[in-house]
Amino acid sequence: MKKGMLVAGGVIALVLLVLLFVWKPTVIIYGVQRAGLYAAIAIPMGLVLGIVHIVNLAHGEFMMVSSYLTYFLATSLGIDPLLALIPATIVLFILGILIFKLTISHTLKAPELNQLILTFGIAIVLVQAVNLIATSQPRKLSLEYVTASAKLGDLHFGTYDFIFVALAIVILLGLQWFLKKTKSGRAAVAVGQNPRGAQLVGINVNRTYMLVFGIATALVGVVGGFFLTKQSIFPAVGGSFTMKSFALVAMAGIGNLPTILFAALGLGIAEAFISSFQGYAGWSHIVFFALIIGVILVRSYVGSRR
Amino acid sequence: MTRSKTRKRIFLGVALLVAVLYPLYAGPYPQAIIRTVFVYMALALSWDILLRSGQLSFGLAGFFGLGSYASVLLSINVPVGSLVSILFAGIFTGLVAFLLGKVILRLRGMYFAIATLALGEIFRVIIRNWKGFAGGPEGKILPSVIFDGAPWPSYLLTLGLVLVVIGVSELIQHSRYHFGLTAIRNNEVVAMSRGIDVPNTLNHVFSISAALMGMAGAVFANLYGFVTPENTFSADYTLLPLAMALLGGIYGTWGPVVGALVLGVVAEYLKLFIPYGHLIVYGIIIILVILFMPRGFVGLFGDLLANRRRGKDAAKSKEAAA
Repeated sequence: MKKGMLVAGGVIALVLLVLLFVWKPTVIIYGVQRAGLYAAIAIPMGLVLGIVHIVNLAHGEFMMVSSYLTYFLATSLGIDPLLALIPATIVLFILGILIFKLTISHTLKAPELNQLILTFGIAIVLVQAVNLIATSQPRKLSLEYVTASAKLGDLHFGTYDFIFVALAIVILLGLQWFLKKTKSGRAAVAVGQNPRGAQLVGINVNRTYMLVFGIATALVGVVGGFFLTKQSIFPAVGGSFTMKSFALVAMAGIGNLPTILFAALGLGIAEAFISSFQGYAGWSHIVFFALIIGVILVRSYVGSRR
Repeated sequence: MTRSKTRKRIFLGVALLVAVLYPLYAGPYPQAIIRTVFVYMALALSWDILLRSGQLSFGLAGFFGLGSYASVLLSINVPVGSLVSILFAGIFTGLVAFLLGKVILRLRGMYFAIATLALGEIFRVIIRNWKGFAGGPEGKILPSVIFDGAPWPSYLLTLGLVLVVIGVSELIQHSRYHFGLTAIRNNEVVAMSRGIDVPNTLNHVFSISAALMGMAGAVFANLYGFVTPENTFSADYTLLPLAMALLGGIYGTWGPVVGALVLGVVAEYLKLFIPYGHLIVYGIIIILVILFMPRGFVGLFGDLLANRRRGKDAAKSKEAAA
């Protein structure tokens, strides 16, 4: 029964997508590109939520910090940002572990409220620290290769943004490999399912949390480097991505990493669809916020019926 | 017991007198600071009213902005007095919250927090894109600011706002709601099984808290005479009151009041030294308070007083024994 509904839903979605592609091909192309970026940022948050059970409200801010690090490395050393993002990622990994060790690990047993307020405070500190150091003026790198475009019939579109789709898939596959095949990854899964049980069989729970949080921030760091190549950055740029990531993770269900890809696809295409109408681009943001509330609510109703 | 009650009354009376007469001995700049502090104080305290039920809302800026717009749009379109428009803003925001609360108060914890954050953004996006009536990205300007900018009445208005919020908060603290909220915070299932109407209690308090935030927004908008989507829904109106309430101490009336006074005045002077990014102080305070002083100033002083009293009692019983 459930499988049949899934298949039917999939077929309907596919038919709709094909129709949309025929009617407005750019919506699908740009929607998929957006979805790649959203998924790449949301998957690390899903990892933290699934294993450490912490909503990190500073998630998008970590990406912003990494973008700035990459920017300053790239401009001061004169290297390509895609090269500069390697040291930036390492710094982010260390930063993630430090922040976890110094602050978040002390609130793990406290009420959820404290964790939310704490990570909210961390987000503010990160944004304002960057604001102090780099001012709020937007920054952008102009790179040759991001303007790459392709022609399909009489349709021109940028192809560089597909790199985010690839990035999201690589991050997802890498994490799946880590969680299923490596010893610390399997320990992380065990901790996520039952911290006390994991502790009883000799897994160091706190170290696992720290490692997972560090990996998540490092991954967000990678995304931040790529983000810089295409978009302009400013201190507040991360905020909306925190919310989008949370919405996608909630939509997919906590602990369900691959589904985030599909959730992101839905959000990306819906946003691109609204933006494609002249004069209505401003409303595209509302799709997402309505989607967050809608999805969370539907989940709460479905959950309570079970 | 009665002696400490009289002492408390005298202290409050003196504090009120000092607050009312403050403009007599303070210049225009300190007055402007305290006006802003009062608005933030009202926000911090109304946020705390909902927090007492264990529900964390990040929707402060959203309801603040909604109230600002409701008041300004009413005064522009209908010739009513500013005070009426402020009252209307409170009622309107409370009603909106009541209807929304019916739905989103099904959520708990992080889901509720994120949903309230998203609500604020939805209000902002709607107003930004509603060019005809709400003014779109440019916002709206009032023909004149309240009381034509006269300092004493403007000051008394903000003081009145704070007194209303304190009054509502104290009423709730001394009513059945207080026990209901505390029970829900401690354990919702137990609260429900003891006969507390959890959905309605939460929705009433959510609406009251939102109405007070809306009134704070309306007062602020009338003082400055304009609203724009970016300024009126600024994240500052979520961040600052949160830090103030946490620093002072949550789950009570006096914590947010003390926190807002201390942090508001300190931050104003910090602004002079660090013009960009002085908000970092608020973030650091939030982190430090959560880690080291989760009950804030009020909790800290409460402990000190209790220790002293215990010391006195111990000394007395020693004397008696001797």
